[in-house]
Amino acid sequence: MSDMHGNGFPEEDFDDAGFDGDLLEEELRQAAAVLDPVPVGLRQLALEAYALHDLDARIAELTFDSLVDALPVRGVPEAPRMLTFRAGELTVDVEVTGEGLIGQVLPPQSARIEVLGGPQTTRPVTVDTLGRFTSDQPPTGPFALRLRTGGEVIVTEWLRA
Amino acid sequence: MRSGTLRSTAYDDLPYTRGGAVDRTEVGALVRSAVDGDAAAWKALVEGMSPLVWSVVRAHRLSDADGHEVYQTTWFRFAQHLGRLREPDKAGSWLASTARHECLKVLKGLTRLTLTDDPQVLDRASEERTPEQTLIDAEEEADQAERIRRLWQEFEALGERCRQLLRVLIASPPPSYLEVSAALGIAVGSIGPLRQRCLRRLRARLDARGAA
Repeated sequence: MSDMHGNGFPEEDFDDAGFDGDLLEEELRQAAAVLDPVPVGLRQLALEAYALHDLDARIAELTFDSLVDALPVRGVPEAPRMLTFRAGELTVDVEVTGEGLIGQVLPPQSARIEVLGGPQTTRPVTVDTLGRFTSDQPPTGPFALRLRTGGEVIVTEWLRA
Repeated sequence: MRSGTLRSTAYDDLPYTRGGAVDRTEVGALVRSAVDGDAAAWKALVEGMSPLVWSVVRAHRLSDADGHEVYQTTWFRFAQHLGRLREPDKAGSWLASTARHECLKVLKGLTRLTLTDDPQVLDRASEERTPEQTLIDAEEEADQAERIRRLWQEFEALGERCRQLLRVLIASPPPSYLEVSAALGIAVGSIGPLRQRCLRRLRARLDARGAA
């Protein structure tokens, strides 16, 4: 077909007369509701996600993600995913591999750390006194880290592993 | 509900209030109530905006596994940021934009690892049967079901950009153009004209098929 622009949208090549786009869009909306609805299990998870709302926790924002910010390394297709989160002065570096998580809290300090895997899944990880931590279970799906340090609770931004 | 009356060619006359405004005026209030601990408000947010998030995921043609994770990540992050949204009234745009960025990340990760081109993904509509669909089949509305299926097939066969735009537009309730803009990274002002072209394209495909 020759009616496609470089941008992928068709050119104006039809007569407007008598065409009701609203009606067609509404039919399409009904079709989507029948043939491609939000899966019930997903909707349920979104409802349960309310439990993740925690006004007392500080959010450590994602400031580096090797998937986005790093150049691909030739010949190393499965380079580990490197992530950096930051909340004020505190930084959390995380490396995600097929074997699990390795990371470090900076400046070095002791902390209690858990991996959250959803509204109802938490798993503690081993942390040394300098804030270095390891987990031998790689996250499957979305995850966040919850840190308790110096009387504070900090949660990293939810991310897809 | 939007009126079903003919709107001539004025497809972009009310880009900011289109459809969604009726259903979404209360979004900011719902966000604030949810922040204050009102679980019913959260439920209303999920019910009102889940289809939008899902539409964004589907518009980007991710695999089921990836799509499900993007959807979850989007909602988990929304819950996390709930009390910190700068513009609670624009929670829909926030969700759409977050879902879009996660989709793009997935796609980026895929091209980096392997060039996946799973043909099954493209054929999904004809293979998966939802309970609703089964129900329709069982009833005597076979004609209607067939019409819907044909419409969906032609929609799926549209050019990628049109399919993507329309998939977001047909979320239920209808998203505002601001939300569509956030979902796809295209200018609000261009949505109306593009929508019209894509719908006409679809109409032409349906007509051609009917005549064949």
